[in-house]
Amino acid sequence: MAWNEYSFGLLVVFLAALVGFLALARERDDLHKLLLVDLVEVASIAVIALLGTDLAEALILPGLVVGIAELLALSQLFIAKEGIAGVPARGLNIEVVQKSPATVIIPGFLVVYGIILSGFTGGGVAALGLVFYFMSHRFLGDFHVLELASGISWALWVAAFFVFMFAPEFWFLALMGAAVGILLKVITKISLVGVMWGEPQ
Amino acid sequence: MIIQKISRVLSNYDNILPLFAGACAILAVVALLSLPLPYFEDQLYPKQIVPGSTLNPYDRGGPPFTRVDIRLQYPENSPTAGYVTAYLTPFSLFLARNTMYMGTTIVAHPGGILDEILYNTRGLDTVVEPTILFISFAIAAYIFHRRED
Amino acid sequence: MNEIGGIPLFYLEFGDIVAYFSPFTLALFLLALVFSVFVIVSRPERQIDIAFGADAFFAKDISLAELRFRRFMAIACGLACMGAMVTGDVFDFTLFVSLVGICNVGIVAAVKNHHVQDAAYQYGLVALAGTVPLFSAAAIVVTTTGSLSMLELASPGAPAVPLIARALLVLGVMGEGMAPFYAAKAEMFRAPGAPYVIMCSLSSLLIFLRVTEVVLLL
Repeated sequence: MAWNEYSFGLLVVFLAALVGFLALARERDDLHKLLLVDLVEVASIAVIALLGTDLAEALILPGLVVGIAELLALSQLFIAKEGIAGVPARGLNIEVVQKSPATVIIPGFLVVYGIILSGFTGGGVAALGLVFYFMSHRFLGDFHVLELASGISWALWVAAFFVFMFAPEFWFLALMGAAVGILLKVITKISLVGVMWGEPQ
Repeated sequence: MIIQKISRVLSNYDNILPLFAGACAILAVVALLSLPLPYFEDQLYPKQIVPGSTLNPYDRGGPPFTRVDIRLQYPENSPTAGYVTAYLTPFSLFLARNTMYMGTTIVAHPGGILDEILYNTRGLDTVVEPTILFISFAIAAYIFHRRED
Repeated sequence: MNEIGGIPLFYLEFGDIVAYFSPFTLALFLLALVFSVFVIVSRPERQIDIAFGADAFFAKDISLAELRFRRFMAIACGLACMGAMVTGDVFDFTLFVSLVGICNVGIVAAVKNHHVQDAAYQYGLVALAGTVPLFSAAAIVVTTTGSLSMLELASPGAPAVPLIARALLVLGVMGEGMAPFYAAKAEMFRAPGAPYVIMCSLSSLLIFLRVTEVVLLL
């Protein structure tokens, strides 16, 4: 059988995966295990990318999100297991961050721009703004609002899916519902990455 | 005896991940040995690159609110497939007419081939995926809240 | 088509993803459904610890919040199992199996016990690493055959699925909670609350049964 471009790609990816898994097999430290697992996830994304069609791009997104989601849960479990709680979470101790109004203006701009973009990338942009805001101000709000928003976005998405499947003539409504659902979902989830630590209020 | 030994190794949960990683490494070697794999040329959702288009690499043709033909597995199950692919929001239409950068940001706007696959033809995948995110988030939030007491 | 699990009785179409109910998948689906109903209606068992060297015992108390959370995880796990049992798409199957894996971690991670949490963490790492062979398998299937639908791949004249894709799929399912790693779950079974913990083993068993069908079908 001939060596096509696909096989050469697989050769590189599986070599990388082999290195990653060998490192994982030798590692004994729990935190490093988590980081290495996250690293070998890249290999699975690369195998999907080698398909090279539009379908590949659509399959990468779930693959990527599954990795991020499990990482979120496992890192929280790691914190609980090691008892790292009790570290006070303050804002960044930098004078310009604490004093200037830029810490409100820049997140505000990013959130508005993200909402205009909508969809997955828009959610990422808006979440970046929120992460910056939470980092520079001590996060005092409670998570219940964000948890509620993530639940609503999930329901919105599932509703949009059922419209697509059972009433395809309303595809436009479903498209907008799914776009708003993913926007809310990505904003709430990504903005909490790195914020959920320290002392809960 | 040997089973006893194996089960003793397995019962220590610190050994599970190294064992699994070792199995994955062995399978990676097997994958390397089995390598020249054929690439099936007649793929679903083929990628077209239209040089010069402002929507490049996602230009699949069609003005908004018309249908384009896309190659999917079961066309009879998705009677409206093709509408979402052609759709552009007013803002993205403005970008496409005035700049060359629409193609790089199309994935951020509703509409386009990726939304067609993600929401419509392979919608169940994308329902499972936020469910995984939702469950992971629920676990993280529960563990976080429990530290309050 | 290749009738490993019997002739499909009916199909449920979701666009490109077609779920099919053959006698085999229907039986597994009903098993997952019945057990999910059991989880909804049953009360958790209270674990009794006997104090060593003294004539005393104490029952472990389960808080309402923990009960509700673990019941939610067990129901989600049941739903994920039902999806994994009937889906007719290889990539969708891998996603459902990953969902089963993370739900299993959630069921035990809620327990406030250092040993149990440590075991849940190690198991979660395996579940996360297991997604690598799973997704790789699905990607190799679609690249070499041009289709992800099991029904298409099982029909005569479909391109052959490489052996390595099947091997990766099986290894991935093993990583998400399966037989050789079973012994490690003993640590997890120290967690109090009977019906929820049993959901872990039942889901492992179900996805194992289903993956044998998938591998033989491809």
